[in-house]
Amino acid sequence: MTKSFKILLSVSFSAFLFCSPVFSKTVITWWAEGSAVRDPDVIDIIENRFNAEHSDIELDIVFKEEVTETTRTALLSGTGPDIFESPGPSYIKMLQDAGFVQSLDKYDKQYGWKDKLLPWAYNSGMFDGEFYAFPKNYESMIYFYNKTLFEENGWSLPTNLTEYEALAEAIQAKGMYPFAYGAQGWQPTHEHLAGNYINTVAGPDNMYKALIGEKKWTDPEFVASLKLLKKHMDAGYWSGSLENYYALGWDDFNGQFANRDSAMMMIGSWGFNPTVSGFADKTDEWDWAPLPMLTPEGGTPNYQLAIGSTISINAASENADTAAYILDWVISNREQVLELTGRFNFGAWLLPLKYQEADFGDVDPRIKRFLMDFAKTTGEGNYGYTTWSFFAADPGVHIWKDMEVVWANDITVEEFLEDHQKLWDKARKKNNTLPIGDR
Amino acid sequence: MKFLFSSKLIAWYFIMPVFAIHLLVVALPSLSSLALSLTDWNGFGKINYIGFENFTELFDDRVFKKAVKHNLIWTAFFLTVPIAVAMLGAYLLTGIKRFQLFYRLVFFFPYILASIVNALVWKYLFHPIHGLGAWMNERGIDFLASSPFTTKGTSLYAVAFVDAWHFWGFLVVIYITGMYQVDNSLYEAADIEGATKWQKFRFITLPMIRPIFIFSLMIIIIWSIPAFDYVYILTQGGPAYSSEVIANHLYSKAFDRFEVGYASAIGVMMFVYVFFVVGFFGLLRKIGWEI
Repeated sequence: MTKSFKILLSVSFSAFLFCSPVFSKTVITWWAEGSAVRDPDVIDIIENRFNAEHSDIELDIVFKEEVTETTRTALLSGTGPDIFESPGPSYIKMLQDAGFVQSLDKYDKQYGWKDKLLPWAYNSGMFDGEFYAFPKNYESMIYFYNKTLFEENGWSLPTNLTEYEALAEAIQAKGMYPFAYGAQGWQPTHEHLAGNYINTVAGPDNMYKALIGEKKWTDPEFVASLKLLKKHMDAGYWSGSLENYYALGWDDFNGQFANRDSAMMMIGSWGFNPTVSGFADKTDEWDWAPLPMLTPEGGTPNYQLAIGSTISINAASENADTAAYILDWVISNREQVLELTGRFNFGAWLLPLKYQEADFGDVDPRIKRFLMDFAKTTGEGNYGYTTWSFFAADPGVHIWKDMEVVWANDITVEEFLEDHQKLWDKARKKNNTLPIGDR
Repeated sequence: MKFLFSSKLIAWYFIMPVFAIHLLVVALPSLSSLALSLTDWNGFGKINYIGFENFTELFDDRVFKKAVKHNLIWTAFFLTVPIAVAMLGAYLLTGIKRFQLFYRLVFFFPYILASIVNALVWKYLFHPIHGLGAWMNERGIDFLASSPFTTKGTSLYAVAFVDAWHFWGFLVVIYITGMYQVDNSLYEAADIEGATKWQKFRFITLPMIRPIFIFSLMIIIIWSIPAFDYVYILTQGGPAYSSEVIANHLYSKAFDRFEVGYASAIGVMMFVYVFFVVGFFGLLRKIGWEI
C-alpha cells in the first residue's frame, strides 16, 4: 500500500513538473491577414525558422480573413493574440486611444528599434510621445510604363503637366488608355489618385501645412489639384471611362497593362509584383518612374510616404516581453526580411529598415533602383504624404468615399473640400490626427 | 408539483429555449443599439452620452436622405416587378400539367443560391471587358458597353433587378400554393358562365389568394428595409451613392468611419419604420382584413 502510494505520488509529481511552466514553451500567437499566395512563405521564413531556433518559445502565426474585424472583436472582449496587425496608422491610433495596444517604448529602448527603422516610418507609430506600432510594410506611389511601347512610338516620360497631357493624348490617339486602373473590389483605390494629384499639383509642402492645420483644404492649390484629377478622369485617362474604372478589378487592370491595352499604370510600389509576373511571358519590357509634378513648370518628383499595415502587441498579452523579443528577431535580420519580401517582388512585407545597397544582392535592378532612390530622395527630405498613412480616420474615408460624388458632378470640388475641411476640424478637436513628423 | 406540469406551462417550456436565444442574440443587442444611438461610441474606446445629437444629425445627412429615397424606390420596385412576374408565372404554371415540378424548380433555383453566387454571375455578365456588353459592343450594339452596375443612372435598378431575379421564384412558390387551395368548382362555375381567363384570374384567383398576397406585400415592405447583401457585393452603394441604401449606409458608418453610435441611430430609425409597417398590417387585421 505504502509502495503504491509512493509510486502514485512520484508519477503525480513528475506530471506536475512536466506540465509546469518551467518545462513548457511560451506560445506567442500572431494574427495576420490571410493571403493564400503569401502565407506559406511567411510560415516558412518567419514561423518555422524562429521555432527551429528556439526551444522555449513557440510562435504561432494564424492567418485570418477579415483579420481587422476579428481582432477588434477579440480586443474588445479582452482576449486576442499577443501580436496583431492593423490596416494602418489611423486604425491603430483608435485602438491605442482605447487602451488596447501595449506601449513599445520599453522594448524600443531595449532593442534599439529607433535606430533600425527609417525615421519617418518609426514616427508613424508614435502616439502621445510613445511608440506603439511597427510598420509592417512601406510603399510609395509611382507609375509603371511599357518601355517597349514607349520606344516604338518615340514617347518620353513626362516632366510637367503639358508633357503629361500631351503624352496621354498621344496614347489615346493610338487607341489605348493612358493608364490601366480600376476600383472594383477596393473602393479606396480613389484615394491613390486623389493623393497623387494633391501631392503633384498642390505639392507636398502645401499638403504638409494642411495636415498640421496651418492651411485649409479649401485653399486654391487643393481645389486645383482635384479639378485637374476630375478633368483627367472625365477624359478617360484611367481605363477609358469612369464606368470602366469602377468596373475593373486587380486582375483586369494588371492584364490591361501587360497586354498593351494601356501604356502605363499609376499604382503603388506593390505593383512590382503583378507587373513582374504579368510581363514574365511577354516580349515587352516594363519600367517605372516617380510621378511627375503636374504643374506647367514641373519640378523635382517626390515619393509619397506610406505605411501599408502595422504590427503591435496586445495590451492584454501576458507575454509582451516575449512578443517584443519576436518582433526584434524579425527585424534584426535584414537579409531574411529581404528574402521574404523578395518572394513577393517587394510588394509586401517590406519592413522599413535602413537597408544598404549591398543588402539587395541580385534583386531586379529596376526594383533595386526604386528602393535605393526612395531611400535617397526621402532621406533628403523630398517626400509627399499618402492619405491612408497621414489622414485622420474620418477625412481619410471621406477622401475616397465621397470623391465619386465629385466625379459624378453631384457636388463641386469646392463643396467637397468644404466638407473635407469640416471633418479635419472635427478630427483635430477630438485629437484624432496622426503624427506627421517635422518637415 | 402538479402545477409545474400543467398544460398551460408546458407550452412555455417549449418556447423558453428559443426565447432565451432570442433574448441573447436579438433583444439584448437591439436594446444596446438603442442605448448606443445616444452616444458617440466609435466601436473602440470611451462611450460618451450625447443625447439625440445623432438623430438630429441624421436629418442633415444628405447620404442618409438619399439612402431613404433609394429604399423607397427599392420597395416600390419589389412591390411591382417581382410580384407581377411571379403572379403571372404562378398562374401559368397552374395551367400546365407536364414538367410543372421541373419549372417550379427552375424558378426557385436562384432563391436557394447564395447571394454572392447570384451577384457574381451578373457582375461578370455585365463586365466591360469579358461580359455580354463587351461581346455585343464588338457587334455594334453598344447600349451595354458600360456595366449598368457602375453607371450612376442605372446602378440602383440593376442591383434591384438582380435581387428580384433571385427573389421572384420564392413568390411563385407561395402564390402557387395559394392558387392550388382555390376550390376548383369556382372555376367550373365560371367556365359555365363563359368567363375569360383574365376574368377568372381577376374575380376568382386574386380574391381567393388575398391573404397570401397581402402577406407577400408585408414581407416585401419589411425585407426591403434591411436590403444589403446585393448592394454591398455589386456596387457598395456606388457610384456616387447612386445605389446606397439605408443598411449599406449603416454598415459604412459603423465599419468604414467607425461611427458606431451614429450607425446605431440609423438602426433605430429602421426599427421604428418596421414597427409602423407591422402595426399598420396589424391594424388591417383588426378591422377584418384576412392577413
